[in-house]
Amino acid sequence: MSEILLNVQGLFVGYGEVPVLRDIHMDIRRGEIVALVGSNGAGKTTLLRALSRVLAGTGKITFDGHDLTHLTPDQGFALGLVQVPEGRQLFDQMTVFENLMMGAFRRRSKGAIHATLESVYALFPTLYERRTQRAGSLSGGEQQMCAIGRGLMATPKLLMVDEMSLGLAPVIIDQLLEVLSTIRKQDVTVLLVEQDVFAALEVADRGYVIETGAVTQSGTALELTESPEVKRAYLGI
Amino acid sequence: MEQALVVSTMQLLSQILVNGVLLGGLYALMALGLALVWGVLNIVNLAHGALIMLGAYVGYYLFTLLNIDPFLALPLSMAVLFCVGYLLQRGILNLIARAAMFNTLLITFGIDVVLTQLAQIFFSADFRTINPSYAGSNFMVFGVTLPLVRVLAFVVALALTIALWLFLLHTRLGRAIRATAQNLGAARLYGVEPKAIYALTFGLGAALAGGAGDLYGVVSQINPYIGATLTAKSFAIAIIGGLESPLGVVVGGIFLGVVESLTALYIGPTFVDIASFGILVLVLIFRPNGLLGATT
Ligand SMILES: Nc1ncnc2c1ncn2[C@@H]1O[C@H](COP(=O)(O)OP(=O)(O)O)[C@@H](O)[C@H]1O
Ligand SMILES: [Mg+2]
Repeated sequence: MSEILLNVQGLFVGYGEVPVLRDIHMDIRRGEIVALVGSNGAGKTTLLRALSRVLAGTGKITFDGHDLTHLTPDQGFALGLVQVPEGRQLFDQMTVFENLMMGAFRRRSKGAIHATLESVYALFPTLYERRTQRAGSLSGGEQQMCAIGRGLMATPKLLMVDEMSLGLAPVIIDQLLEVLSTIRKQDVTVLLVEQDVFAALEVADRGYVIETGAVTQSGTALELTESPEVKRAYLGI
Repeated sequence: MEQALVVSTMQLLSQILVNGVLLGGLYALMALGLALVWGVLNIVNLAHGALIMLGAYVGYYLFTLLNIDPFLALPLSMAVLFCVGYLLQRGILNLIARAAMFNTLLITFGIDVVLTQLAQIFFSADFRTINPSYAGSNFMVFGVTLPLVRVLAFVVALALTIALWLFLLHTRLGRAIRATAQNLGAARLYGVEPKAIYALTFGLGAALAGGAGDLYGVVSQINPYIGATLTAKSFAIAIIGGLESPLGVVVGGIFLGVVESLTALYIGPTFVDIASFGILVLVLIFRPNGLLGATT
């Protein structure tokens, strides 16, 4: 088994006085796709915010050998902890190319940036075709591609994708899941955050189920897909 | 006889239009800094005119004390005002970036009052003008008189506008400025530091004001109180042209310049400001996104 990239131990997070996450434990290994699934309001985005240090909490987070607890969001980002936010959050008035380049804002080497850009265009040929179009004019699926591409431009070690499938057609979701499998082979570890439990578990190696702020189940994707509790909770069987 | 009258009327009209366009180029440069700061920081900077006034005095003193030609002094004036703007932003305005509009109006109004008072104390209330040896030179094109300094000021103003446009469109920092304006949260997520971007943007806005002030001192008279009217005109142009692109601001500036020239000729010079702000009100009512902006 490959080494552990992200380790979360006993994490508690809240907004002001309101506690949201309780005693979260989680491991992500290098090269894995890990799904974090749970219904709306379960606390998935809150966990991502805590991982990217936008929200403080108690507990221990170790990323790639660094103790994240005392780092700022910028420092976490510099270590390769990159988020593709819920709702895409593109720069709507800017072109696809410019959106992608904003992902590389902190990088200085022109040659290396260009190489990453080429690889993003190779993953998403549509983005290349639409590179001079305003991001706001793209379809939902294309916007999600652009958001993922922008994340990849930051050369993440861990790419955290929040609600990738929201509002997209099943065909498009399959395409995007395919891409995640491809980038995993290119040394990018993926944390896939989804309400769409079964879509996420299709490509994930392992998964965590989170309900009202606590992890209720974890295991391999197969175990979770077969689990009666998961089926009952998310399929209504 | 009648034909001669038509010809001379045509000539007068072209002269007025040319005057208006030349003035409008400078107006556009004045408004550009205001529009930039407004669009990115969501601050309507009521001290913008005072910054233009300071730029004019920098040009004036460089010319009278050090004998530096005002067009050569332009980069210096811009550099000084960039520093003033950068420090104002870091020191005071960072506290209110993206705050409620009313707070920003109040604070920038305060800055305007302070700068105007300081200017009155240090520079006196006397009218001044930057008067290089070639200030009175004209040349004629198709029977229209072109004052040399106005043409130069127009060309420089346009060049600066284009330079800003290219900077915003094609550089890493320019992109970051636009990205911050469009989606602050996402920009932050990708390592943009808003405070640095805001200070840079405000510095740029002030530098443009400094450049515009230096040019204004060449084509017109200056005193510590010119700021208020210039802020108001810049505001009008920004509204007319919209905040989206420098092109809109250029169109707005030239539009205002032409309207003012026509008003001065056909209605009377005292009505110039009434006409320009009348148009502002009409635009606000009928095309709130600017003349070029989308209709909603
Ligand atoms: N900014 C916030 N301030 C206060 N409470 C919040 C905030 N954002 C989310 N919450 C609350 O935290 C809980 C978890 O929300 P969230 O992490 O967004 O869930 P999910 O991403 O799983 O849908 C919800 O009860 C939500 O109401
Ligand atoms: Mg969420």
